[in-house]
Amino acid sequence: MFTESTFVFIALTAIFAYSFYAVLVAGQLSLGQAGFASLAAFTAASLAPDPGDVGDLPALLIAIVIGMAVGAAAALILGLPTMRLRGVFLAIATLAFAEAVRILIINMEWTGGAQGMSVPKILEPWMAWVVLALVAYWFWRQGPTRYGRALEAIREDELAARAMGIDVGNHRLSAFIAAGAIAGLYGVLWAFYVRLIAPEDFGFAQAIDGLVTAVVGGSTAFVGPLLGSVFLTMVPEVQRAIGIEAGWIRPFLASLLLLLVILFLPGGLASLLPRRAARLVTGSADERAEVESRLSQRVHPTDGQTVVKLQGLGKDYGGVHANRDIDLHITGGEIIGLIGPNGAGKTTLVNMISGMTKPTSGTAEVLGLDPGGVAVHKVAAAGVSRTFQHSKLFARLSALENVMVGGHLVSKPTFLRRMLWLPSARRDERRLAVHAAHCLNRVGLADKEGVKASALSYGDQRRLEIARALASDPSLLILDEPAAGMNHVEADALSDLIGSLAQDGLTILLIEHNVGMVMKTCSRIVVLNFGEVIATGTPEEIANNPAVVEAYLGSSESEDAS
Amino acid sequence: MQQLLNGLFTGSIYALFAIGFTLVFGVLDRLNLAHPAVFAVSAFVGIELVEVAGLSIWLTLPIVFVVGSLLGVIIERVAFRPLKDRPDAHFAGLISSIALAGMFIALLQWRYGPNTRRFPVDSFPSTTFTVFGAHVTLLQVAILVISVLLMVGLSLLVARSRLGRGMRAIAENPTAARVLGINVDRVTMTTFAISSALGAVAGALFAMNVNSAQLGMGTAIELKGLAVIIVGGMGSLPGALVGGLLLGLAEVFAVQYVGSSWRDMVAFGLLFLILLVRPQGLFGARKVREV
Repeated sequence: MFTESTFVFIALTAIFAYSFYAVLVAGQLSLGQAGFASLAAFTAASLAPDPGDVGDLPALLIAIVIGMAVGAAAALILGLPTMRLRGVFLAIATLAFAEAVRILIINMEWTGGAQGMSVPKILEPWMAWVVLALVAYWFWRQGPTRYGRALEAIREDELAARAMGIDVGNHRLSAFIAAGAIAGLYGVLWAFYVRLIAPEDFGFAQAIDGLVTAVVGGSTAFVGPLLGSVFLTMVPEVQRAIGIEAGWIRPFLASLLLLLVILFLPGGLASLLPRRAARLVTGSADERAEVESRLSQRVHPTDGQTVVKLQGLGKDYGGVHANRDIDLHITGGEIIGLIGPNGAGKTTLVNMISGMTKPTSGTAEVLGLDPGGVAVHKVAAAGVSRTFQHSKLFARLSALENVMVGGHLVSKPTFLRRMLWLPSARRDERRLAVHAAHCLNRVGLADKEGVKASALSYGDQRRLEIARALASDPSLLILDEPAAGMNHVEADALSDLIGSLAQDGLTILLIEHNVGMVMKTCSRIVVLNFGEVIATGTPEEIANNPAVVEAYLGSSESEDAS
Repeated sequence: MQQLLNGLFTGSIYALFAIGFTLVFGVLDRLNLAHPAVFAVSAFVGIELVEVAGLSIWLTLPIVFVVGSLLGVIIERVAFRPLKDRPDAHFAGLISSIALAGMFIALLQWRYGPNTRRFPVDSFPSTTFTVFGAHVTLLQVAILVISVLLMVGLSLLVARSRLGRGMRAIAENPTAARVLGINVDRVTMTTFAISSALGAVAGALFAMNVNSAQLGMGTAIELKGLAVIIVGGMGSLPGALVGGLLLGLAEVFAVQYVGSSWRDMVAFGLLFLILLVRPQGLFGARKVREV
């Protein structure tokens, strides 16, 4: 019932879908792949040697090399200016590129214009499937690696990924270049199978088909594009086989099936298959000690050494002073409590310290860096790690995977070594897993390792954020309202944890509304009100400071007035 | 002068099409890729009404408007509402609207076959004017006037009415809008209905302007619509108006001075430039990232 060409088209469609998958895993929506494929197909078809001279397979291999290089180069050139665009904007910019390529090729002499170009048919079905197997292998091996997890983290929450020390720009660009190379590969295979290529073979409709294939198959599991391709290629074949007339019924049923899949299978067809999540590896006590000494090599600033030094730091939002003239000096091993009423500017201050907000006045020095002058991931690399007031977990990743992303900075890249099945990659992955399990254990979440972050209770999400922040072996740990939503038993346990972290040499900056907990935990307290520091001192000094009491409780006069 | 006017007429249809596109995006942050299918469906419906029911072309427009709004309700109910709370609602909405568009087009093919359809002869008034030495038909003037009226009406609706306030509130924050007692589902549905109604009128006017309708006509204008809303600024109504007129003018001048094979390059060149230099578009506001 199926012809040879059906099998070839399943492979080709799947390869094209992988070029969408390559960026979808990083949460990017690109429609430029048809443009990359088009450039690659026409360039390779004109430059590759004649199969009559060098033989079929060598000619195809040379063409593939040319095509992938062209696709990757085009993606790099397009990616440099467009990688800062997000969501639909990126999709439309890349779509515009693809259309521009199409119009360009129609208007060129060497491509044969709108008639297109004839190309020898040398692609055999087995070749297409070997190439598909290689591409699928690539993404299978990419998934559970440091690089693969970093891409997923970017998809789930870009800002949190930056805070974990991931260079988001580079990762996004490399995913885009991979998409370009694979799209180029597809273009070449297509050209050497269909005999005649025209600019219209790589239009908007084809780009949409590729995207649909990837999404229907599932963009979170490497088998997704393959499943999507089998499904979408078979639907018309099966319809023909069971005798449904051509014309309107076929596209109608195909569209209807597509609609049903997208509505009722959120993860695509791949979600029908069981997914193996990263498992908790606790390891022996010896192994844990070995791993911790290997992964936690940062030398923390000791007593008296500067961790944070702010001078006259301020932040204006169009005339509203979120922070004004903040002077603060934090030294190694301190536990600083930052308190103040809502809207006092606490979060703005820690955003400036962690490099997420640029100050409008004053200077800051954090672990030897100016956080306003460098990228967020560099601040993280210097040893600053933080949690967020509103949980910014990687929602669709398991608790353990969240913490493993947190360990990005202390682990080694494993993708290339995993492709080659080197034992050292497995060893490094195991070390990271043990380290992550240790961090989970420290916050009391060891039994929740396989639960998706979004399915955790609120209190557990707060704890998971702390475990994730700890995994990067930070020197300065910033906790933004970690005890929110915890009862007092849980808050006490958190307080003990913070104390033990300080024992390990970490410096901690704690924002918290639970004043009792702050008093108990912190060595020094800074009080903010209306963006300014109104008091600093030991817990006793703060408790007796009239300005603080007034800020929290209101002065006696204003109470009278109300 | 003739070129300028032609550009203006085509541009006003682009603008009307794009304004429906951008309305949904601005209020709901979703790109509805079934919009071009509504454009095509309504062109065929318009021709059918004139040919079979023997209506005058002016009477078809209000009917097409209603048909479009019904399609909008279907699109919202089937392709968007079920996806509301999904983490991948952006991608999923694109795909589900593409799927629904495919079904619409397949139904068109069932009813009308794959061939180009035209209005019966003598459906158009033959009145022509001469403006600054250029020939203008009554139909062209009507296209411009109807487009502008609909767009102005929509702007007033969004700016002044209770419904418009609801739309703007949802655009800011859907959860807060719901808490404040706005019936988010109903406003969302109405937004889709209005958006599709405008797209439908644009489709009928386009078919009158070129006196033909094809199954693929939506795809051709889809890319231009996207270009217009990016150039004008995503979600900006005046942006879509200015962007549409600009694109119409730029195209006729490109044909005049560069050659017709490069015409479509204008839209994409413009689009690309804007995205790089001013990603929020000519009239768009920059969204501030919050932690």
